[in-house]
Amino acid sequence: MRTDEELIKEFQNGSEEAFNELVKRHLPDTYGFFIKFTSDPIEAEDLAQDVFIKMYKALKKFRFQSKFKTYLYRANINMSNTYFKRNKWRNLLHLDQAPEPVYMDTSNEDEWKRNELWNAVSKLPSRQRMVVTMRISDEMPYKDIAKVMGISENSAKVNYHHAVKALKDQLEN
Amino acid sequence: MNIEKELKNIILSQDQTIDTDDFINNMHAERKRRFAKKIGFLNGVSAAVFLTIFGFASMSQLTDDFAVYASNDLQPLEVMDSETEAYVYDIASYLVDTSDDIWETIIFLDEIQYEPVIAMNNRGVE
Repeated sequence: MRTDEELIKEFQNGSEEAFNELVKRHLPDTYGFFIKFTSDPIEAEDLAQDVFIKMYKALKKFRFQSKFKTYLYRANINMSNTYFKRNKWRNLLHLDQAPEPVYMDTSNEDEWKRNELWNAVSKLPSRQRMVVTMRISDEMPYKDIAKVMGISENSAKVNYHHAVKALKDQLEN
Repeated sequence: MNIEKELKNIILSQDQTIDTDDFINNMHAERKRRFAKKIGFLNGVSAAVFLTIFGFASMSQLTDDFAVYASNDLQPLEVMDSETEAYVYDIASYLVDTSDDIWETIIFLDEIQYEPVIAMNNRGVE
């Protein structure tokens, strides 16, 4: 089985099939990452598509200074930040026209909780948001989070604890 | 409320799968569509830049001196006709005066139907 780096080199030499192989290999993780944010398969697919289209351009100049998985993960995090910002504006401008439910439908309890939580996550400062996303959604160790974000392990831990405290405060209020 | 646990539970319930082949086909179609759009935009910008530069260069070549674009030494038609007639009359007189055989010259003038010279000649004969 070819490694990611070998596939990237083949892609840089003009093999589109190598790129498709990379997509096949990493799509489940990437799509899974976005579906956790959105719970909307179409929106998650669009976000994953945007990430891989950016990868198609970026990998032609990839210099192998980091692992592809880390590189892709950073792209996912950046895309999720864009998604959060876009949704923040959407909420501010009331573009989501769905009326507030008068009663809470228990069959949609998870959906409601998820919305509340991700809404609270979206209000976190960017660094805390990224740490909490990686930690909870992908159960990444602090060491890997620190590597992806280019910060120290302790800084990642502190950010995570601040984020969890802020989420608790927001939801309890 | 254990936030971490809640988040994990919700996240775990979100797992779904996707058809990779469909995804790859859609992705390449979208990538090509975006590329074509980008090329179209760049072509439009290039054409606009070219037309702006070409238009500016053309305009900067224009001068305030209208004589460059149109003749300003035109004469009225009547003046032109009288001048031409006088010139042809002089030429005819010159040909008659300088010819070795005056009759040949008269025949030539007759052929080109130059009436004044013929009349003058006739008057001279009379």
